[in-house]
Amino acid sequence: MAEQIIKPDLNFINDVINAGGESLKKCYQCSTCTVVCNVTPDDKPFPRKEMALAQWGQKDKLFGNPDIWLCHQCSDCTAYCPRGAKPGEVLGAIRKLSIEEFSVPGFLAKMVNNPKFLLVLLAVPALLYILIIASQGFFGSVDIPTEEGKIVYGKFLFSLYYVDTIFTATALFAVFSLFLGVTKYWKAMAAENPNTKTGSLGNAISATIVDILGHNRFRKCEVTKGRATAHMLVFYSFIGLFITTILAFARVIPEYIHHLKISESIDVHQLDWLAYIYKPIGNVSAAALMLGILLMMSNRFKNQEKAGLGSYYDWLFISLVAGVGITGLLAQFLRMANTVAAYPTYVAHLCLVFFLFAYAPFSKMAHMAYRTTAMVYTKHSGRDAE
Amino acid sequence: MAENKKVLVIGGGFSGLTAAVETAEAGSEVVLIEKTPFLGGRVTQLNKYFPKLCPPNCGLEINFRRIKNSGDITFHTLAEVEKISGQEGNFDVTVTVKPRFVNDKCTGCNACAEACPVEMPDEFNFGLNMTKAAYITHNQAFPFKYAIDGRSCKGKACAKCVEACKYDAIDLDMKPETITLKVGSIILASGWDPYDVTKLDNLGGGKIKNVITNMQMERIASPNGPTGGKILRPSDGKEAHNIAFVQCAGSRDENHLPYCSFICCMASLKQATYVREQYPESKAEIFYIDIRTPGRYEQFYWKVKDDPGVTLTKGKVARITEEAGTGNLIVEAEDILSGKKVKRTFDMVVLATGMVPSTKDTKIPVEVKYTPDGFVMPATLQKGVYAIGTLKSPVDVAKSVQEATGVAIKSIQSVRR
Repeated sequence: MAEQIIKPDLNFINDVINAGGESLKKCYQCSTCTVVCNVTPDDKPFPRKEMALAQWGQKDKLFGNPDIWLCHQCSDCTAYCPRGAKPGEVLGAIRKLSIEEFSVPGFLAKMVNNPKFLLVLLAVPALLYILIIASQGFFGSVDIPTEEGKIVYGKFLFSLYYVDTIFTATALFAVFSLFLGVTKYWKAMAAENPNTKTGSLGNAISATIVDILGHNRFRKCEVTKGRATAHMLVFYSFIGLFITTILAFARVIPEYIHHLKISESIDVHQLDWLAYIYKPIGNVSAAALMLGILLMMSNRFKNQEKAGLGSYYDWLFISLVAGVGITGLLAQFLRMANTVAAYPTYVAHLCLVFFLFAYAPFSKMAHMAYRTTAMVYTKHSGRDAE
Repeated sequence: MAENKKVLVIGGGFSGLTAAVETAEAGSEVVLIEKTPFLGGRVTQLNKYFPKLCPPNCGLEINFRRIKNSGDITFHTLAEVEKISGQEGNFDVTVTVKPRFVNDKCTGCNACAEACPVEMPDEFNFGLNMTKAAYITHNQAFPFKYAIDGRSCKGKACAKCVEACKYDAIDLDMKPETITLKVGSIILASGWDPYDVTKLDNLGGGKIKNVITNMQMERIASPNGPTGGKILRPSDGKEAHNIAFVQCAGSRDENHLPYCSFICCMASLKQATYVREQYPESKAEIFYIDIRTPGRYEQFYWKVKDDPGVTLTKGKVARITEEAGTGNLIVEAEDILSGKKVKRTFDMVVLATGMVPSTKDTKIPVEVKYTPDGFVMPATLQKGVYAIGTLKSPVDVAKSVQEATGVAIKSIQSVRR
């Protein structure tokens, strides 16, 4: 083997420790972890080598490593680790740091992962909506318009301007930022693993989608068995809510056409029947979301001893998703009950959804892009052939 | 001034035996008590000592002879300490002695065991075979007289052994006795137990038949063991030619024993030689985190390592499964030096399980503090009480003997002050 000079990056070691990997240095390289891990490939398995790389401050090797995302933090390794080195949590910390490294703009990731900035980040959508509401005069003498005395959110904040435009822009920002981050990650992986054989990218992508839809890798976890079910509920509820959003948007298109005076004669109610489709989907999805997120929380408490409770980064994401679900359902019920409390709840819901979308490239939400990329990369390079 | 000149030794294993004979030969009267019906302790269960690979009778026989020849040693088997009071030079000790149901007329003819209808797992052989309720552990046991297991024996309702015994040596009416002793100092030498393998769920401990412990391996390899010294695996009695040794099976593991058990690396290296000598074509693979052969034991490690039939693989085994139908075992580890997760098939697996001090579960009724793992903290022992051997930390036989010899002078000082 050619001689290699290793330059440990001491700051990086401290970063991992401070990011939730405080047990890193307990590892004595016995490799119990790689053996009990059901999701690692057999050749150059993880997480033992990641523990060694992290102890030696090998930042580039870790950030350009697809394996850090092949890990689903089952915590089988953590439960069986004879030293309490918690490889699952160390890899979680490395993943968080890699998001900080790759995401654009990087300072937002640092803010999202730091509890000190939580209020600042929340203040962005909150101020935005306070300004909008103030501009409508609702804080002053103007009464919020209703439809024959019934609360209609569309009369309160006209959705074309105050919901759809804002959120489309936010989503586009998130998608673009994620795309930039993931591209950097792909390049880093290609730089660290230059000699890997490559197959068809299309096949790798379709195999990855099959894996994700079935949660095939996640379901191999043993110690934290229930997590795959909880994640599946949340995952499919997001898909359901995405469909709901698209259909709800489609329904109001005629109204927008009319409003923008593109066609004065259009029947604004012609797509109202869509509500019969998306309302059940939306409600079922919301229920699944709440059930899934509650299961996630209870799993974390239940597995606390063996898998650890998780860090701020984990709980911020969990709380956010739970918050979106709770405010969303409440906003619907309060609207149906026709009480004024519906309005602040609706605004809170919009703020939380904004938070979820706008900061997705920097929070744990980004896992969906990075993990998918790593899975595609490993399948493409023949590392994860299963 | 010490009122009582006697020294009490608790535990009749190698440490206790050595302490007893050394103290007695220096001129003090000694009382030795042992929980089981026989003396010799864990060493009697071994096939060979490391590193010289001589049989344990080497050392045991001479110590038994020294006990027999010394007029100053009294020993009680099946005896346990109930209560200790007083201080250095003046202890009162209450001991309960369980009935053996066999008296000194026993000649060791085996007629009682032949007549006995009750079978029980042979504890001496770690349950590898069955024995009768009237039994002797092996052909060199001391004292060489049978014992009847009070838990399994059906008592006078059966009494077939009484009929069979020509020497009138069996007395099923024997009752537990309480004896009181006045002693000037006390030596604690109650030894160790093997770690409970059933807690090693991922290694199939206690569940998969051909996954055995290192102490079971000693019994299997021993000429007076359940297979007469042939290395045969438990499931089907097939010769085990291809054996894996799993180091740190429970030791150096905060989920089990958070300390190194000190002897297991040498024990596995030693046991690899058993297999290699018995079957010339055999293979032994030792999976380790680090091979720990302190001091001069390093040379033993070199010797075993140079045997082409022995493979040393760096990487802890974390999963063992049984191959369907064959009884063979699939051992999973990462071969760290090549960076590959390997699955290898073996005839039999030996778990190098560690040492648990007997004081983990059975506390001695003296003033003392224990470590969280149950080891005696020697500095907290009251004056006139000494702990030796594996009660303080895991040690090998050689170190136990040194400590036991050293404690003789301390115990004598206690009774002469």
